Amino acid sequence: MIFNKEISYMTDRYNQFILITKDVEQAAAESGIRDGMLTVITKHTTTGIAVNEALECLESDIDAFLKKIIPEDHPYSHAHMLPDYGSTGGNPTGHIKAHITGNHCHFPIINGELIRGGAQDIYLLEFDGPSAKRKVLIQVQGE
Amino acid sequence: MFIDMHVHPDFYEPLNDDPDKEALRHDQMNIHLNGTAPLEHVFNQMNCAGLDRLCLLPQDYTMLLGQPLVTNEEIKSLCDMHPDRFIGFASVDPDRQDAAETLEFAFSELKLAGLKLHPSRQHFYPADTKMGPLYDICQRYDRPVLFHSGLSWEPDAPTHFARPLVFEELAMRRPALRICLAHFGWPWIKETAMLMLKYKNVYADTALLYFDSAIEFYRHVFTQEIPITWIDRSLRNQVMFGSNNPRFEQIRMADAISKLGFRDSTLDLIRGGNAIEFLGLNE
Repeated sequence: MIFNKEISYMTDRYNQFILITKDVEQAAAESGIRDGMLTVITKHTTTGIAVNEALECLESDIDAFLKKIIPEDHPYSHAHMLPDYGSTGGNPTGHIKAHITGNHCHFPIINGELIRGGAQDIYLLEFDGPSAKRKVLIQVQGE
Repeated sequence: MFIDMHVHPDFYEPLNDDPDKEALRHDQMNIHLNGTAPLEHVFNQMNCAGLDRLCLLPQDYTMLLGQPLVTNEEIKSLCDMHPDRFIGFASVDPDRQDAAETLEFAFSELKLAGLKLHPSRQHFYPADTKMGPLYDICQRYDRPVLFHSGLSWEPDAPTHFARPLVFEELAMRRPALRICLAHFGWPWIKETAMLMLKYKNVYADTALLYFDSAIEFYRHVFTQEIPITWIDRSLRNQVMFGSNNPRFEQIRMADAISKLGFRDSTLDLIRGGNAIEFLGLNE
């Protein structure tokens, strides 16, 4: 059996950490699947999905580290007019941060319970906000 | 007060309940792969950019398309929803038989703040005598005109109609008419600077990002192509911030303009003081 649920988020900052653990837990419960694997996937290339401890200090450190290794003012090749869009590609930092972070995470479901460590929370990471609609797909496969 | 003088609301959600009209806007703006924007998202963008007000520009391309791309009434409706955030301009296709009546209505009844014209798209020269009645109305209502100038990314938009030099006769003959050369007339930056130096009724906006990143392009145009001192010393009262959103990046452009090395007092003028003068809001 496969269960799919798509959730949309409006972001309101340029770079933003959005906790989505509760939404993922709810989707796992809605799936009715007792034993299987859950996957969280962002449908964008300037957002990431990450698993980490939900502490403000860690969010700040991760944000600062990403900004340090991927500075805004840098001669990125992506910064040029993109005819397919009719606009200038100004979000190379978002793409690179998303590339480093990854676009998905997995958790097992055992006996109807989403198995994650006590410190593990799930984040949607916005790297090119604000955005009107960031779509996240939650898929559960199992029985 | 930080004002973006150049915003196209073509993809704002309240204006896009007709998929065919939205598709037409994508084609005619030559902007693709973007969705529609709820106003809450527009305000989030403004907050990230530090912007207080947006100047919303319609496009009356009736002679080309048989209808305006964004109407004056749609601009009015957005301004009525959020008068604290939006400043609305009018647009009139100069070749419409009812052009003068349409503009008069836009100023007298819709209370719009100025006129947006696109010589390249509407296929006219700014100093053409046929434009006289529209300019007369602008002067009678003390409303400015914001002209597209320089390169246009829209289809069927020959640049020769909008090279800065073709605005000189208008600037010279109507010194009481405030006009803005949008996009700083790019790529003719020095021509635009020349006009602004000689004619104090000529303004320009910063809605240009045709190469590189916002900070790279602004650095090249405003500190290398012309020295930063030209604006900071001589043209400081005539340059207004504009982004041309949604084509260009409002947030990064708003950030970049502050990093070029202008004096703080010049930056204050670019960010809002000059727009207030241009719009006649100081009187």
